[in-house]
Amino acid sequence: MSHLIHIELDRLEGSLLRVLGLIERRGFHIDEIELYDLGEDKRGLSVTMRPRDTSRSPDQLGLQIDRLYGITRLSADPRVGAGADTQAKQGIRA
Amino acid sequence: MSNEPTGAQLVISTLKALGVETLFGYPGGAIMPIYDALAGSGLQHILVRHEQGAAFAADAYARATGRVGVCMATSGPGATNLITGIANAYMDSVPLVCITGQVSTHLMGTDGFQEVDILGICLPIVKHSWLVRDPADIPRILAEAFAIASEGRAGPVLVDIPKDVAAAKVGASSMATFPTWTPPAPDADAIREAEKLIAAAKKPLFYAGGGVEMAGASPAFLDLVKRTGIPVVTTLKGIGVVPTTEDLCLGMLGMHGTRAGNTAVQEADLLIALGARFDDRATGKLNAFAPNAKIIHADIDPAEINKLRKADVAIVGNLKTTIESLNPKVEGIQKWVEKCKADKWEHRFRYNAPGAGVYAPGLLKLLSEKAGDKFIAACDVGQHQMWVAQHCEFANCRAHLTSGGSGAMGYGLPAGVGAKLAKPDHHVVTISGDGSFMMNIQEMATLNRYNIPLKIVLLDNSSLGLVRQWQELFYQENYSEIDLSDNPDFVQVAKAFGIDAFRITHRHEVEGAVDRLLAAEGPTLLHVLIDPRENVWPLVPPGASNAEMMEERWDEPLDSY
Repeated sequence: MSHLIHIELDRLEGSLLRVLGLIERRGFHIDEIELYDLGEDKRGLSVTMRPRDTSRSPDQLGLQIDRLYGITRLSADPRVGAGADTQAKQGIRA
Repeated sequence: MSNEPTGAQLVISTLKALGVETLFGYPGGAIMPIYDALAGSGLQHILVRHEQGAAFAADAYARATGRVGVCMATSGPGATNLITGIANAYMDSVPLVCITGQVSTHLMGTDGFQEVDILGICLPIVKHSWLVRDPADIPRILAEAFAIASEGRAGPVLVDIPKDVAAAKVGASSMATFPTWTPPAPDADAIREAEKLIAAAKKPLFYAGGGVEMAGASPAFLDLVKRTGIPVVTTLKGIGVVPTTEDLCLGMLGMHGTRAGNTAVQEADLLIALGARFDDRATGKLNAFAPNAKIIHADIDPAEINKLRKADVAIVGNLKTTIESLNPKVEGIQKWVEKCKADKWEHRFRYNAPGAGVYAPGLLKLLSEKAGDKFIAACDVGQHQMWVAQHCEFANCRAHLTSGGSGAMGYGLPAGVGAKLAKPDHHVVTISGDGSFMMNIQEMATLNRYNIPLKIVLLDNSSLGLVRQWQELFYQENYSEIDLSDNPDFVQVAKAFGIDAFRITHRHEVEGAVDRLLAAEGPTLLHVLIDPRENVWPLVPPGASNAEMMEERWDEPLDSY
């Protein structure tokens, strides 16, 4: 199943590579990306991806992305069937 | 204008403002402005002989003290030599700030001399990283770096500073701000749900990891254990969160865990995981791990919850508060506790190995007992590392420094350097093997330079013992590239570095050697020849359930060591 997530990130050194690398390393194929300017030193990134095997959970991936620094918002698009509920960054940093 | 500081001077002044006293490093071209500012600054810089040694020493300094470790290296090969140390700190959640020099900004991206994209290379193994482009940002970035390295689930961070940025004068620098972050309190409802599960359990078991100590929660955890009477197994990194002599401590679980510990996990009806992450070396075959148990999982990192094992109750947040808040009513577990204790007694380790050669587990047990509460072990990786985990007594978690998640050979000697500098009044002993020791053997020069009275126990089986053991057991004795019988004479090598050294080969020499080692005033190496055929037992075969422990026993009277 394909999943679409939207990520709002600060315009920091390496931030894009950091997110995309994490998605691949944690067991997902990236099929499409879209990058757009959100002003105020922020960028939006939409990623369409598929897990490499059934053990890879998009919910878990969301938590792993969320703990990166410079991620200000993370949401899943329910139309594409992602498991994660829309979540705003809670301030939990680990 | 001339009184304005350079970026490099801001690095040094900010490190001092952040409370840094000791750092480890190695200079080179791109970081020269920072080393120029370092001279005469009052910071204690330990010049190692390889950058990997700097990262490992800073890592151990952090583990032993709970403070942030700091290391520095130049660009290119200096920076890449740090990488194993950074990965090591990442896997074991150690707060580490790594500062690297970078080529000047106009050379970046041109394949300049000693240029490497260290920020890009390290992205998967740091909590965060910065490339400094404006020297005025240095105080803010370093303050953030220290805060991020230590807050929540700790870990390494990287600050890459181009040479021209370090050399530039700073007109108006923003003074450092020191962001503070308070870990979220655990959810009160989750605490109540956990208490209900504990109250209903007849075979509850604590599964404690290194996160307990990192949260500063070890005393609170010991209190919880005593209040509830629930037995404990620990991970490799969790060893010492309760004293290993504690009656309810069943030892380490997992691949080389104790039989009592692994049996308890397999039979438990409730596993209370605290600051642990269900690592594959701990769980063995995951879907056969703790098959009868409900799971309570408490951790500061929400990404660890449900990652490998679904939690029936998840408690995310400050682990110390979680542990202090838990006040369950525990009833009807006496039979279970007695069974666990009976298993612990029945399957206790034996030290009456046949033969007259040195039995390494016995030596290590004796060493930790003689060193007492001031014992700190800085382990390398291999059989000796598992023997330390199994046989040494530890009064607390910060006394057991080991490369857990990463399993990095070469950790032990530089880790001993860092730990002894951090805890000069302790008996810090590097315990190494002949394979691991050769990976950072150059750090004996660091011991000699600063006359650091680290003690070294080098267990020498002239082979890569753990690989040899696996080849014996799982690769039909097809011994491939594990022979190290052409090792140098380690006593002579140590002496060439200016380190006192002596050798033992027989069991009757052990006690005298341990006494001599601990009493020595300067850095000293004890070279111990052991039987290359010796294996680490018990062993859960790869891919097997923790219930399937392989063990070797011998039939001689007990406790005759």
